[in-house]
Amino acid sequence: MFDHGQPSYAEVNKDVLSVMLETGPKYWMLLGTTMSVAGICFFMPWIYQLFVGVGAAGMNRNAVWGSYLSNFIFWIGLSHSGTLLSAVLHITNSPWRKAIYRSAEAMTLFSLMTAAMFVMVHLGRVWFVHWSFPIPNQMGLWPNFRSPLMFDVMAITTYLTASSIFIYMGSVPDFAAVRDASTGLRRRLYTIFSFGWRGTAREWHTLGWAYTFFAIFVIPLAVSVHSIVSWDFALSIVPGLHHTIFAPYFVCGAIFSGTAGIVTVMYCLRKFLNFERYIGQVHLDSLGKLLITLSLIWSYINILELFSSWYGGTSFELEALQFKLTGFYAPLYWEMILFCAFVPLLILFKKIRWSWNKMLVISILINVGMLTERFIIVATSQPRKFLPDAFGFYFPSWIELSITVGAFAIFATLFLIFIKWVPAISIYEVKETLKPLRRDA
Amino acid sequence: MAIMGSFAFEEDFLTAAKKLKSSGFDKISLLSPLPLEEAQEILELGKSPVRHYSLAGAIIGAISGFAMATATALVFILPTGGRAIITVPPFLIITYEMTILFGVLFTLLGFHFVSGLPAWRDRPYLSSASSDRFVVVVEGAAADQVARAEAIIRDAGADEIQHVGEGQ
Repeated sequence: MFDHGQPSYAEVNKDVLSVMLETGPKYWMLLGTTMSVAGICFFMPWIYQLFVGVGAAGMNRNAVWGSYLSNFIFWIGLSHSGTLLSAVLHITNSPWRKAIYRSAEAMTLFSLMTAAMFVMVHLGRVWFVHWSFPIPNQMGLWPNFRSPLMFDVMAITTYLTASSIFIYMGSVPDFAAVRDASTGLRRRLYTIFSFGWRGTAREWHTLGWAYTFFAIFVIPLAVSVHSIVSWDFALSIVPGLHHTIFAPYFVCGAIFSGTAGIVTVMYCLRKFLNFERYIGQVHLDSLGKLLITLSLIWSYINILELFSSWYGGTSFELEALQFKLTGFYAPLYWEMILFCAFVPLLILFKKIRWSWNKMLVISILINVGMLTERFIIVATSQPRKFLPDAFGFYFPSWIELSITVGAFAIFATLFLIFIKWVPAISIYEVKETLKPLRRDA
Repeated sequence: MAIMGSFAFEEDFLTAAKKLKSSGFDKISLLSPLPLEEAQEILELGKSPVRHYSLAGAIIGAISGFAMATATALVFILPTGGRAIITVPPFLIITYEMTILFGVLFTLLGFHFVSGLPAWRDRPYLSSASSDRFVVVVEGAAADQVARAEAIIRDAGADEIQHVGEGQ
């Protein structure tokens, strides 16, 4: 499990807490850069769009859903491996989970927040967002819970709440460790955050039970969230979207994308926070095997999707299929197939699976492919519904492209803030993987 | 008066806990930097009542989820192609999500009630217990029992013993 020898309990505390308690100028420069990029690329174009209207985006009468929604699906998808993987591995008692799950769960939380931002951007008149919640109002207006968009509101609210609680509860013992290692205002803050945790057998016992129940609740929740996102599309009758396979397709793609995201985040934690001792080959190897499995399932579902469109034989479906495979956006489709179906096969080679640099490149390519997949779903189907004389075309504007880039900066900013407030590796769970110190040793 | 013994080794800590328990000391707290199943077994903690909170939350969530969807459909009627106003299949999705939401929230409440947290008052504690020390705390011992408890803790291999006022 440990590439550079087993650390002692006290060393685990020191290594993990030093990341939080010691901050150099490089960190502030990086945080300043990501915040600036987020401000310039995301918030400024959004404010511009709020003034001039959603016409500033490339959407038009035939294409009322654009890249904001493909970004929304992408970020929801990216959120999927963190909490879901953490919960599944907790239930199955997998020891390799322990060093990576905290950051993976943070990834879930921040991806969800980024996804929620895209809903706001897409809405146009964001100041009416409260209309989607069942709040008594002077208009007597209530949301329509028969709509998949309302399923989305409920699912994402629940997922965001559950993920926040899941990560917070798992961090309480580590907040106590921060409290005990700090002084002054930080000590007072972490005394509040840790609820006065002492680490008694009763507290551990209760946390263990509660955490297991959180995990049990979160697994079906995560599956339901991306199924519901898929129904935003599949419950319409638009050719290219009206497929029963969409729910498993989206869930599989989400876990695939999220697992690749975890590899990217783990690389950064190892490289920039000096966690080489805790995040080792066993983690990379396990994540690599998971990626191959998910890639094969994803490829299989893709073949099924093509087959069912072709086998269905309706002219509308065949036209949608033809446009996807050979139309304007065909290069993007084949790029997606290359990055998500063929490139991951390289992970079968142990030499590649055990190389952090190569796995980083593959994980980024997979997520480029997954972002493309979401774009293709939105851009190739909805503007070309049924009759050719009603066909339109969608191409994202510079505002949408800028906001897409800015979203990555928002995610990075949130993550950089997170590593200074929450131990990025679970201290107590890493200790569980260590052999206990014995008097006779 | 509380007696607090600190151990460097898990095995010594567990030995002390077992002996204290078998000697009739009931008010024992076992502090450790990681969860120890053996410590929980010594204190005979068994199944946690947290599970009742989870179940209650899930049931309340399911009922309120369906009720909310039904109530909003009834107060703001949207006739759609002659379909029923209270449509069960889509409302089950809302019910499902609310089941999980309330299940999670009630589990959180259960954790706080059962573990007695938040507890910001001073209690016997060593800050090294969150790092690498295992601490046994015996509270509520009668004056004639204090020496016996201290002897058990020392014999088990404690490297530090402190007497602290309870609530300190």
